[in-house]
Amino acid sequence: MSSRLPPVLGEWIDRSQSLTIRFDGQRYAGHPGDVVSSALWAAGVRVLGRSFKYHRPRGILSLANHDVNTLMTDDAHINLRGDVSPLAEGMDLRAVNTAGGARADRRRLFDKLSAFMPVGFYYKAFHRPKALAHFWERFFRRMAGLGEINVDSPRLYTPKRYDFRDLLVIGAGPSGLAAGLCAAHSGASVLIVEENAQAGGSLGYARGGSDTNHERLEELLAQAKQLPHLEIRTGTCAVGYYADHWIALVEAQRMTTLRARAVIVSTGVMDQPAVFRNNDAPGVMFASAAQRLIYRYAVKPMHRAVVLTANSEGYEAALDLDRHGIGVGAVLDLRPEGESTDLAQRVTSANIRVLKGYGVSEAIARNDRLTGVRIFSVDGQARLPIPNSEVLSCDGLLMSVGFAPAAALLYQAGARMSYSEITHQFYPRELPKGVFAAGRVNGVFDLPYRLEDGKRAAQEAVRYLGFSTQPNPIVPPQRRWPTHPYPIFAHPDGKNFVDFDEDLQLKDFANAAQEGFDNIELMKRYSTVGMGPSQGKHSNMNAIRILANLRGETVDKVGTTTSRPFYHPVALAHLSGRGFHPVRRTPLHSLHAELGAAWMPAGNWQRPEYYARSDQDKNECVRGEVRAVRESLGLIDVGTLGKMDLYGPAAGEFLERVYAGRCANLKVGMTRYGVMLDESGVIIDDGVMARLSDQHFYFTTTTTGSATVYRELTRWNTLWRMDCGIVNLTGAFSAMNLAGPKARDLLAKLTDLDLSHASFPYLGVREAQVADVPCRLLRVGFVGELGYEIHTPAEHAHHLWTALMAAGNALGIRPFGVEAQRLLRLEKGHIIIGQDTDGLTTPLEARMEWAIKMDKPFFVGQRSLRIVAPRQRKQVLVGFTLDKSHSGAVPKECHLIIRGNDIAGRVTSIAFSETLGCHIGLAFIIPELAEEGTAFAIRADAGKMVSAVVAKAPFYDPSAQRQRDY
Amino acid sequence: METRRSALHDLLQQHNPRWSAMNGMLAPVSMDDRRPTIALADASCMHRMGVKGSQAEVWLHSQGIEMLPGINAWVRTPEGTLVARLGRTEFFLEDSPSATTTTRLRSTLRAASGLTPVIRQDCAIVLSGERTNELLTQTCSVNFAAYSDADRFAILTSMVGVSVLVIWELHTGQRGYRIWCDPSFAAFLWETLLGIAQELGGGAVGLGALIPEVVR
Repeated sequence: MSSRLPPVLGEWIDRSQSLTIRFDGQRYAGHPGDVVSSALWAAGVRVLGRSFKYHRPRGILSLANHDVNTLMTDDAHINLRGDVSPLAEGMDLRAVNTAGGARADRRRLFDKLSAFMPVGFYYKAFHRPKALAHFWERFFRRMAGLGEINVDSPRLYTPKRYDFRDLLVIGAGPSGLAAGLCAAHSGASVLIVEENAQAGGSLGYARGGSDTNHERLEELLAQAKQLPHLEIRTGTCAVGYYADHWIALVEAQRMTTLRARAVIVSTGVMDQPAVFRNNDAPGVMFASAAQRLIYRYAVKPMHRAVVLTANSEGYEAALDLDRHGIGVGAVLDLRPEGESTDLAQRVTSANIRVLKGYGVSEAIARNDRLTGVRIFSVDGQARLPIPNSEVLSCDGLLMSVGFAPAAALLYQAGARMSYSEITHQFYPRELPKGVFAAGRVNGVFDLPYRLEDGKRAAQEAVRYLGFSTQPNPIVPPQRRWPTHPYPIFAHPDGKNFVDFDEDLQLKDFANAAQEGFDNIELMKRYSTVGMGPSQGKHSNMNAIRILANLRGETVDKVGTTTSRPFYHPVALAHLSGRGFHPVRRTPLHSLHAELGAAWMPAGNWQRPEYYARSDQDKNECVRGEVRAVRESLGLIDVGTLGKMDLYGPAAGEFLERVYAGRCANLKVGMTRYGVMLDESGVIIDDGVMARLSDQHFYFTTTTTGSATVYRELTRWNTLWRMDCGIVNLTGAFSAMNLAGPKARDLLAKLTDLDLSHASFPYLGVREAQVADVPCRLLRVGFVGELGYEIHTPAEHAHHLWTALMAAGNALGIRPFGVEAQRLLRLEKGHIIIGQDTDGLTTPLEARMEWAIKMDKPFFVGQRSLRIVAPRQRKQVLVGFTLDKSHSGAVPKECHLIIRGNDIAGRVTSIAFSETLGCHIGLAFIIPELAEEGTAFAIRADAGKMVSAVVAKAPFYDPSAQRQRDY
Repeated sequence: METRRSALHDLLQQHNPRWSAMNGMLAPVSMDDRRPTIALADASCMHRMGVKGSQAEVWLHSQGIEMLPGINAWVRTPEGTLVARLGRTEFFLEDSPSATTTTRLRSTLRAASGLTPVIRQDCAIVLSGERTNELLTQTCSVNFAAYSDADRFAILTSMVGVSVLVIWELHTGQRGYRIWCDPSFAAFLWETLLGIAQELGGGAVGLGALIPEVVR
């Protein structure tokens, strides 16, 4: 039987259309405008989900986007909250965290075993007995968590955007709307965001038996439409507050990062539950949830209700129920004095029984449905249970016993909150600049005052923004305090739930405190209170009160836990969304692709690892490329290297300070290898510096180090105030290394430059036209052959490479990739910074004493090297080889060197050299094993020990004849 | 023979542009007559240069560039060359299709105390159209809509994670943004902007659609 009410003024549903969904295999109908929970509730479904730990049946609690026990999945989307997910045709949903569906969950047995799952049992289970630790690990992994990720689910399209406003108003309730309207009149651009599908907040549903509030809402919205500077964005949740008024706004399909010059937080309050036995039974809900069901979705929340209250809001809810034909068995008012406004008279006039000073000790449920509540007088010192206490028959219990401010965003903004022992609520005591609070979050509850408070906040905000010079208005007085100081009634039979997310009971808090976790932060982590999907929206306040009670202290003294973004659950799709992860390409990218490049990342660059050939595997391709370089000609794109120009009278002196080697005496037209250290003497980069003129150096850095080096050198130059200027040309210049015995022959075809050894010797640098484009040519030998590193402005690179390849065709030129280059340089014993060094390697350990000149007056890192130089090295870098006859497991980079039972080093580079006929490598090793010819053992995969011998590097052409004098 | 090549050349090829040689580079001057809601064009063919240092301003004056912009602002010379000041002492210059200023200046520029030449190889993109601001709000944290068409700010910022220089001026009567970035990021920036633009009804156009001067 449908619980749908006749049409209700202002309802959100569209009755002209019907939608059909499935939930746990059953078909149900609803309307556009419904959320899943409202449609199911209208269809008579009361068990919408199961609780996290005990698998207890749960229904609607808040219907305010915080019902985390009604999580559902359609496989494509996990953990849809039933109270916020719009109904859509064809939805096929099932409750998460169940075995067999929400109604028939086979895991409900856990509810019977709750005595064996006390607070902290997760932690305790791992301690004793130790032998069961793995059992528990597997068990918890299987049982814990909500929802299962479907790796086949389609990728959701969730773009991100920035937005900007003078003023952001968070929350479109009465105070937020009043604030937005007032501010927009000043000329400020105003955005009001509202997490619900429609604006209005409590104006729409807390009506107290009349439509006056609804009419007021219509008026406000009509006014808003007239204001061009005002936008109301519904279905938009402000989930995080960051520095400088950056706020993350999440919509169904988009995340917006909004920068506001000022922000008004009018996020209202969150209902707080009363704690009594079985207070989680389906049918027990907040009074506001019932009102939302009625006025938003035209759904009858129950057939007969009891209202448990401590404020006017409970009386208003009773009147709303009565107005829509729902019997109200009684209003139980926790306050002995009862309600002081005319609401009391109106309720009595409606023939609703009012019991002052009464509470609920126990909710009684049968077949997962509420059937009644046991009541008791809260006056005096009565201890529960009270024998023969009255049971009121009902299928719905409304709770309205107090509120907690929805102040998470205020906390994140840096607001200071204080607890009032008079109003029993936290309120903003001190707000950061540009942040304003209005309405119930500000401790103002009566509607007329909330509207005024919204205007007050707006006036202060527009004055802050400079749109008004009017003095700040006087804050209206607060008239009442609707929150009960301790709506917690301990029933000895338990199941008095404080945290519905994590199934935490009242006794859990007492036990945690008794075990020493009596600080709010410790208790949070031990008990997991507030750590569930709602992040304690309905439990933190009561948890603080309970702890304060246990410790005999004030709530203010106990304090609150830290509020961090995100305030609301945010789908990972929103966070991943459209990611901006820049990838760099050299100007030769398309040419590499045409040549069959197999790509590999190098920092944020894409580089050819090797060039694939259809008839060869990777190793064959790489060896072929190596052979081409050794025997004829190879060409590699080295444009990813960092490239810097350094100009000025002090350029030489500057380099002298930042490189450990000598620089200032470098002759014009020559290059030199340099190693760069940080202030602790650790190698951070290396490269080649070329002197193009007396005051002009051009130098390279490692691929991944260019940005860091440029930043660091700029910093040094700022500090030292030297007369030189640095230009980072990494992207502006392309570079390619032409290497091999025929390099000179090829180059001679494309340039008029005299390439003879006498005119252009090894380590020389020249500027010349090559293939009609301007180039800088560096005669360096990283790969150990006659070679020319040719640098040219990026826009000419395509032309130059094409010309070199075309001219080299007859000479057997072959492009080679990073993998071949690594092997070629390894044969030469050249290190790669970051691979053959780490974050602690000094030149002394890398045996690069030749590259540092300690007799210089100064270089960065020199002082540290002086300190560490006399000390015994813990490890040094050596070359090694495996036996030529070696077969079987081959060690890999990072495999350990073992001596006895101790680690004696690690492999940093290793590869098979076809040229040398054996595996060669570099390794860090303890000095005792570093002597040439010493045998040592490397532990390869699966623990296999492989013998190696320390060998002198370079392994290939140790006298460098091929690169030097060919 | 054109020895210069735009970092976007291969990406533009798929749009079947009509190429035209400009300043030693093949430039995509036209594609089709459609004017999308957001139009992106490659303007890398223009000549450009940079100079920085404490004497840069003095040197530019000495070379006849009399009107220099303030900090993080830009001007156009009577010849049409764009001069942008990046920070206090760095200048970026780009010729209009008809200007030759940077060619002249590059030939005379020599490093000296307080004067550092900067080789500029930027990729240059022009962005225009009625929905351009929507594209910008998805890609950059600067509120460009807050500025007027007449503002002459040179904004150094990050767009889709790429460092860019952005200015705006009127192109065929509509605000057009000029965006420069390191050429190694050009493909990523272009593909990302174009991808979002296409979702908003935009697309690539020939440079002539936004800067008609290049086809005259």
